[in-house]
Amino acid sequence: MVERSALAIYIAAIVLFMMGAFATIILPFFDPDMTTPTANAEARNYAPDSPEAKGRLVYIANGCNTCHTQYVRPVKADVAMNLGPVTVPGDYVYDKPHLFGSNRTGPDLMWVGSRTNAQWNYQHLKNPQKLVPGSIMPKYDYLSEDDLNNLVSYLMSLKPATNAQAAAFNK
Amino acid sequence: MLSNAPFSTAKNFWYSSIFWLIISMIAGLVVALKQISPDFLYFQGADGLNFALTYAHIRIIHTNGILLAWLSMAMVGAMFYMVPKLTRTPLWSERLGNLTALIWNVAIAAAVVIIALGYSSGVEYAELPLILDLGVAVLAVLLSINLFMTIAKRQEKQLYASIWYFTGSLIWLPLVWIVGNIPSALVGGAMQANMNWFYGHNVLGLWFTTVGIGQIYFLLPKITGKPLYSHKLSLIGFWTIATIYVWNGPHHLVNGPIPVWLMKAGIIPSLLLIIPVWTVLANVFGTMKGVWHRVAEDVNLKFLVTAAIFYMMACLQGPFQSLMQVSAVVKFSHWVVGHAHMAPFAAFSFVCFVTIYYAVPRLTGRHIYSKALMNWHYYMSVIGFLMFAFTLWIAGVIQGFAWMDGTPFMETVDTVRTLVVFRAVGGTLMIVGQLFFAYNIWKTVKSGTKISSEENVAA
Repeated sequence: MVERSALAIYIAAIVLFMMGAFATIILPFFDPDMTTPTANAEARNYAPDSPEAKGRLVYIANGCNTCHTQYVRPVKADVAMNLGPVTVPGDYVYDKPHLFGSNRTGPDLMWVGSRTNAQWNYQHLKNPQKLVPGSIMPKYDYLSEDDLNNLVSYLMSLKPATNAQAAAFNK
Repeated sequence: MLSNAPFSTAKNFWYSSIFWLIISMIAGLVVALKQISPDFLYFQGADGLNFALTYAHIRIIHTNGILLAWLSMAMVGAMFYMVPKLTRTPLWSERLGNLTALIWNVAIAAAVVIIALGYSSGVEYAELPLILDLGVAVLAVLLSINLFMTIAKRQEKQLYASIWYFTGSLIWLPLVWIVGNIPSALVGGAMQANMNWFYGHNVLGLWFTTVGIGQIYFLLPKITGKPLYSHKLSLIGFWTIATIYVWNGPHHLVNGPIPVWLMKAGIIPSLLLIIPVWTVLANVFGTMKGVWHRVAEDVNLKFLVTAAIFYMMACLQGPFQSLMQVSAVVKFSHWVVGHAHMAPFAAFSFVCFVTIYYAVPRLTGRHIYSKALMNWHYYMSVIGFLMFAFTLWIAGVIQGFAWMDGTPFMETVDTVRTLVVFRAVGGTLMIVGQLFFAYNIWKTVKSGTKISSEENVAA
């Protein structure tokens, strides 16, 4: 009688779990759309000690992804807000960890480098309210000069691959 | 040093969980206040302190504190109480249980420091660095050994529905945890985001939900004095959760950078989730038949029925939001934050409150110190939550449609500013309610009136 056998429950619970995990976690590994890097991914494949790579660590340590997403969907809102090209899984192949984010307390940053400049980003990080009155973003003036500059380099690198990069990638 | 007294583990888990509940909710309030005024807790020139107290760190402490410290510890305490009761067998080792509780507290304290110092993995809900991930895995093993050994040596051969739910949860938790915490160096990008949400969703579905339902099925017959309406329904609920829930992760990335087949694999099971939630509701309402009048005078019953209703609402809202068309409007907005609080707070925290209110008098031999405070706890929690959630849902819908119109970002921030203030007011009420709860339990344990031997504890 199954209601008396704890072992039967264990085994069935594991088997059912594995079915769902196989379908939603393992199968995607075999989908080339998920695993093939795009030119955009290559443009974000930073050399280990580059300012962009260090800036990305500053981004993570300060939890920027708590309030800013990095993905653009093919939906009315993202088109209307002019966020830039719709992103595909291949754009993120070298993003370790992923920085998708889940909340837009602030705007999406997927392509922020193509709509802002380094000077503006630097000033904005130090005192957001000075450049954007009413902004609810915290001040990041507590960061060291190095951290700030690296973070700005990272933000400025967040833009679609240039034509030259794309051409080189397609060869 | 470690007590071997019966049920000391359960009590220690609960007392510490209440401490973390207060800490984590205060962290939540700080986050809410920082959304109103970004300079809250900002000290000009104190760079190290500003880094530690930055918005994201406090938010991570809030989410992890509520999920891993308050809710998980309260639920583990519940299992350490209910499994021995249901199997009519003493816990395999109270000493091991108390050791588990001790390590758990140390790990959470370490986590708070580590997150404040900025060592987050960057993966939402799985922010703890690898060393603490391994620590949590060890804790899961320790508590599983203890509870499974108790079940194996049980006197009562029949396994009541709650035991099914607890057993499933204990098996699924480590599996879900591993998928969510695989180091970023090994997988990144969209693949990792998908695993991230597999974890984010299933830690709710296969841990908090299933332990919570197990608690409901234990508490409801005890409090009403009536047998569970349908044992069969509870088992249908169990197997449908086991079959369906695990598929839900991808619905968090609907319209996003994952293949469409994967989105659909997440959306369809989301709709089917209405089946298990219906089994729970049918069982709760069926058992309540004929005793509804008791809801008016019994705060525990009030909490429990309210929890079931909020559980249903969360599970109707969830599938609705997983639809591509709906997600396209509400995703990334305040709406999601409102939704995300409903099941962990208004459903499963409520269930844990009842467990603690129910068990503490039975374990300490003392009446709950104040029934009035219990009532205040209930009303503050419910009214606070409704205020909190509805302001966020309204704000979210406003944001969603404003973004679709291409309204400049700051204009929408300005539009919802007042609502964000009311969210903090609602949140404050929620916390005040918990202060009543903590004080009431404290006073009960310290100086509650003794229950005389011939008296019925159910009072």
